[in-house]
Parts: sequence; C-alpha cells; structure tokens
Amino acid sequence: MRTQTTHSRRLLNRLDSLVTRLYGWRHSPLHQPGTLAALMLVVMLVTGLYLVFGYRVGDPSGSVARLAADPWLGGPIRSIHRYASDLFVIAALFHGFRMFAQRRTWGPRSLAWVSGLVLVGIGLICAWTGFVMAWDVFGARLAIEGARWLDVLPIFSEPLSRIFSGDGPVPSAFFFVNLFLHIALPLAMGIGLWLHVSRVARPTLLPPRLMSWTIIGILAVLAVVLPARLGAPADPFALPGDTPLNLVTAWWLPITERLGAGVVWLLGLVGAALLIAVPRFTRPRPEALAPSVVDPRLCTGCNQCPQDCPWEAITMVERDDDRPTLVARVDPTRCVSCGICAGSCAPMGVGPPGRTGRDQVGDVRELLRASGVRGIVALCCDQAQAAHRAALTQRGVTVRAIPCVGNLHSSVVELLIRGGAAGVIVYGCPPRDCVGREGPKWLVERLFHDREAELQPRVDRRRVQVATMAAGDLAGTLAAHEQFAKAVEAIAPTVPEPDPLLEQECAVALTGEES
Amino acid sequence: MTTGRRLAGFLATVALAALLGLTTAISMPTSHEAGAAVRLSWTARPEWIEECRAATEEELARVEVHMRQRVVCDGAAASYQLRISVDDTVVAEQVVRGGGLRHDRPMHVLVNQPVPPGLRRLRVELLRREARDSLRDLVPADLAAVEDTGLFAGRAARELDERSRRAAAAVPPRLLLDTVLQLPAQRVALVRYDPDGRRLVLVTDHDH
Repeated sequence: MRTQTTHSRRLLNRLDSLVTRLYGWRHSPLHQPGTLAALMLVVMLVTGLYLVFGYRVGDPSGSVARLAADPWLGGPIRSIHRYASDLFVIAALFHGFRMFAQRRTWGPRSLAWVSGLVLVGIGLICAWTGFVMAWDVFGARLAIEGARWLDVLPIFSEPLSRIFSGDGPVPSAFFFVNLFLHIALPLAMGIGLWLHVSRVARPTLLPPRLMSWTIIGILAVLAVVLPARLGAPADPFALPGDTPLNLVTAWWLPITERLGAGVVWLLGLVGAALLIAVPRFTRPRPEALAPSVVDPRLCTGCNQCPQDCPWEAITMVERDDDRPTLVARVDPTRCVSCGICAGSCAPMGVGPPGRTGRDQVGDVRELLRASGVRGIVALCCDQAQAAHRAALTQRGVTVRAIPCVGNLHSSVVELLIRGGAAGVIVYGCPPRDCVGREGPKWLVERLFHDREAELQPRVDRRRVQVATMAAGDLAGTLAAHEQFAKAVEAIAPTVPEPDPLLEQECAVALTGEES
Repeated sequence: MTTGRRLAGFLATVALAALLGLTTAISMPTSHEAGAAVRLSWTARPEWIEECRAATEEELARVEVHMRQRVVCDGAAASYQLRISVDDTVVAEQVVRGGGLRHDRPMHVLVNQPVPPGLRRLRVELLRREARDSLRDLVPADLAAVEDTGLFAGRAARELDERSRRAAAAVPPRLLLDTVLQLPAQRVALVRYDPDGRRLVLVTDHDH
C-alpha cells in the first residue's frame, strides 16, 4: 500500500503543479476539493428546492421536460443542479485521492475516511434517484439496473424489475419513494458531513468566497451554453438505444449491465471492503509518527496547545502534584503526530518524541556549533518540493527541512538569527494544503502576531519571512527568496552571538536540561 | 501571474467546463441498436400437486376435535418448462418455479429475449414438468362416504371447494402462445398471462 501512496503522491504533485501553473496556488481548486464538494452540496440543495416544486410524481418525465424547456429558470437551474452533482462526485473523489496520496487516512482520520466513503456512496445513490426522477431513457435504464441488483436480495416478495416491464404503468408510489429518497438522502449527508469533520477542530467547510462564486458562475454559464441533456421519455416498449449517459456518476452502467447481479454485488462489496481497509494499510510504523507527549514539569497550564491542536487531541486536566495550574494531556487515540503543539508551547513541554521545541533548538545548536550559519537560512516544509529546495541551495541558501512549518518553534528562528543568520525565511505549503491542517496559519500568528509561543520582541522582524512553496511555482519560491534577500541586504549585518541563551518561561527546568 | 498564464488558465477553465458538460451529453449506444425483443412478464400461482386420502379414525383421534381434517394431503408446487421459439427455433428455455424456499409462492416470470426485427413466428410455451395429474382425480373416491354430520357437517365439501378454487387460480398444466407478429427494430413485444382467461396474451405498444 505504501508503494501505491508513493505513486499517488507523485501523480498528485504533477496535478498540483499543472493547476498551480494555470491558476496560482491561491486559487487552485485542487487544494480544497473537500470544501468544493460541500459547496456543490449547497448548490444542489438550493437548486433542488426550486426543482422539487415543479416535479410531479404522477407525471415524472412530463414535469421534468417542462422544467427543462423553461429557458429562463427551470432549464438553467436543472442544468446547474445536474452539473453540481457531477462536480460534487469529482471533488469528493479527488478529496479522497488527495488524502490517500498524502497518507492522511489513518488513526483518528479513519473516521473521516470511512464517513467520506459513505458520503460519496450516498451522493452516488442520490444522483441515481435524481436521474430516475426524470424518467427518461437513461433514468429508466438506471432504475431497471438497480431493480435487477435488488432482486437478487431476499427483500421483496415480487421482483422489482417487473414494475418496469410494461405489464402496467409504473406506479406513482415508486416515484414517490424515489422522490422521498432523493430528498431524505441529502439530510443523511448532512449528518454524515457532521461526522466527517467531528474529529477536526475548526473545520473549513467552504472554499474562499471568490472561488465559490467563480465556480458557481462557471456552472451557470455552462448551464446556459450547454444545457444538461434530457433523454426521450422512458418507454417500456422501446429498447434503450441512444441513451445520454452521465459519465461521471454512471460510467459503470454499461459494464454492470453485462454482468450478473451477484457478480456486481460481489465486486461492489470487495471494492468497498478494500477502500474501508485503507486506513489500516496506510498507518505508518508506530515509531515513525508517535503521538505527542507532555512533559508535566515544563507545562505551565497556559491552555495554548489545546487551542492550537487541529485534532482536539489535547485537553487540560488536574495535575497530580502540588502546582496550582492545570496540565495538558494528549489523547494518543486522537493525535496524528502533526506536531502543531510543538510550535505552540513556549516552554517546549509538548510535542511528538524527537520533534519538540527542545529537540528543534538542540538541532540548531548542534548546527551552530558544527558549522555556524551565515546568510539566509530557509526552513522548508518536508512536504514541499525537493526541486525547490535544491534550487535554493544552488543560490547559496542554507536549507533545512522541517516536518511542518506549524511544528516550528519560534525559538529556532531566534536562535538562528542570533547565531549569525542574516535572515530566516520559512517556506510552508499552501495554507489550504497543509498536512498538519493549520501549520502556516499558526506560524504567521506566532512569528508576527504575538500568539502564545511568540517570536520574542528582540528579534528583528525584518529578518524573518514566511513564504509559500507550492508545487508548480518554483518562480514564486525563488521570487520570495530574492525579495527577502534584498530586504535583508539593506539591514546592517548581524553579529553572531557565541552561545545565545534563550529566555524561557520555564527557565528552571530548561536550564536544568540544557546544562 | 503573466498574461499568458491567465489566458492559459481561462482556456483551461473553458475546456474543463465543456468537458463537464460533455460528460452528461455523451450518448452511449447499447447492443440493442439493431434488434428488437420479446419480453415475458407475469406473475401466477404454480399448480399445487397433492396426493390426498381420507384420514383414518386413529389419526383423527390423535388430534383435538376442532383440528380434525377428513382429508390429509401431501403435496408440492409444480414447476414449469418455459420455452420460447422464434421462427420454429428454440431461442430460450428455462425452468420456472414458484418463489420462496418451498417454491410454494407465486412464480414470477421476467425474460427479455432479443429477437431480430421483422415478421416473426413467436411461440411461447409453459409446460408443467410433473407428469402426475392434479388434485381432483386423486381425491379418494370414498370421501363421500366419510362422516359428514354434526361437527363435520359440510366440511368435506368445503375442503373440496377450496382445493378446486386453488386449482383454478393456478396456471394450467400447459400454456401456449403461437402467433405471428411484425416486430419493428428497437421495439418490445410483451407476453403476459391473463389470469381470467388462463392464457398467454401478446401486448404490443399499439395495444397498450
């Protein structure tokens, strides 16, 4: 499975590069497919509300044809509804692919993964019922195929397929149940969505406003220019010949129609089982991404790490010693080892083993002792493109990889500058594509807006820069560096301190450990 | 972002939107394009084949008075051979049984048989596979002689009526539709069971 994720990661990087070249990382829809899917749900809900009032269960194909024939409202709204459903499926599947490729499926994310699969499944069933509502040749073909699948299950006393045989009119009750499902399933999706983000702190549910309206505008234009096709009304006495087929939501139809219903169930169940098992197979080795731990001696009870944790894995609890404060406690079952807490703790008392602020400071001290630093130091997210880092190295920049910029403790930046670096530029991933979810956001807050674990006031902010290193935007990476280098050149050079001591909130413990 | 990039982005957006539109507009031809079909669709009760005899006095004595039945029957639902012939060639043949684990529920027939369009002789036959004859002739002749008074008054006759009614509701041992029809391309002719006439009937879209 790890090989698959590696290949998927390469493919994802290529796609990201391509789209970033076209739209820039700020406007790349590929960085936020999940929110895009949620936006499409909203669009479908709004347009569906209009359509449902024009729909008649007693005359399904006729009422949909009347809606489609209305060039001012009904037609475009129906087309937007339909295109939004296609885009929902595309966005949701890409969201799943991105999570898989970035190995963001294991541990507490398993719930999001499984609920996401269920959401896509419900979305597909909902699309199915929507097509059947129209009761054109394509809708009838889907209905017949669905009935064929259900008929192998011991549920109905009489085969469902017979109601489409022409032996009598298709009962209105069928269309009523279908309509009920089409309306009820999105409500179930609402619950599923809540479950999907239930383990995430501050979930982002919608894309940025500009992107949202742009996409809705594109759908509206598309609906006018290329209205969604409606097939001929279903006729049980005609064989489905020229069927307009939706390739996004029903690409499988021509395949399954040639297979036995039992085989279809078997393939579907095996496929679902494999997908559900993905979190189990993508889980990293325990030693590679161990959950964060708290050193209670250093914890001041400031309550910052629970606020910054993107997974709500940290809570403040009573101490078991005589200090009057609370102490942080990490729930290992909810921790994904993102390390955001390491950057949030001023006294460096929390973080994944080997990646706490204390470990980061220790590494920099070793670097200073071994070779010292001169010029500009670039701290780059390990997830970012290796080619970008190489390009920076070629320009004489000292490049150090860090697991995520959200892990970075501000003391590292201070130590580098006081140790002789002319400036420190921190390259993070595009904010909406951070594997730690909120790394770039918290970094900027800590370095420039005095969020707890802030960069000390004595550090010259002109020597510090935060930039984005996005796949496909090498020019942006280099431009950020050049701009920063020019700004740093204009400042008087730094005088390296031989062994800078950092002021810490928990000075006694820190001094004890450092000594 | 350069103007060239902006233009490329715009063109890519147009192309992707068009692609999205086309995915819903693509027609996928099916294998039925040049054909026609005969569809058999009906639900009917299979015949219930029983062997009946008069219960002995000892058997009757073993059960409570109100549960005593004068006729004891042991039976099973019939199964049928369905054969479809087009122009005197058998094109489909299958065994049809009643639903349920004991096959004693109504049997449902739904067969879509591709047929070349044109003037065709269609022959659909549903033939009972069991050679044994049905209930009426197997009812013991001495039933009339059993006690039919007091608590049992009229029961034997009622049981006979019930069995006769059930037999009449079931499909007959043989159903046959032999007809010539003009079948246009891509059209479906429906063959259904008429429970009142106890026969197979052909329905085309004109009839419908």
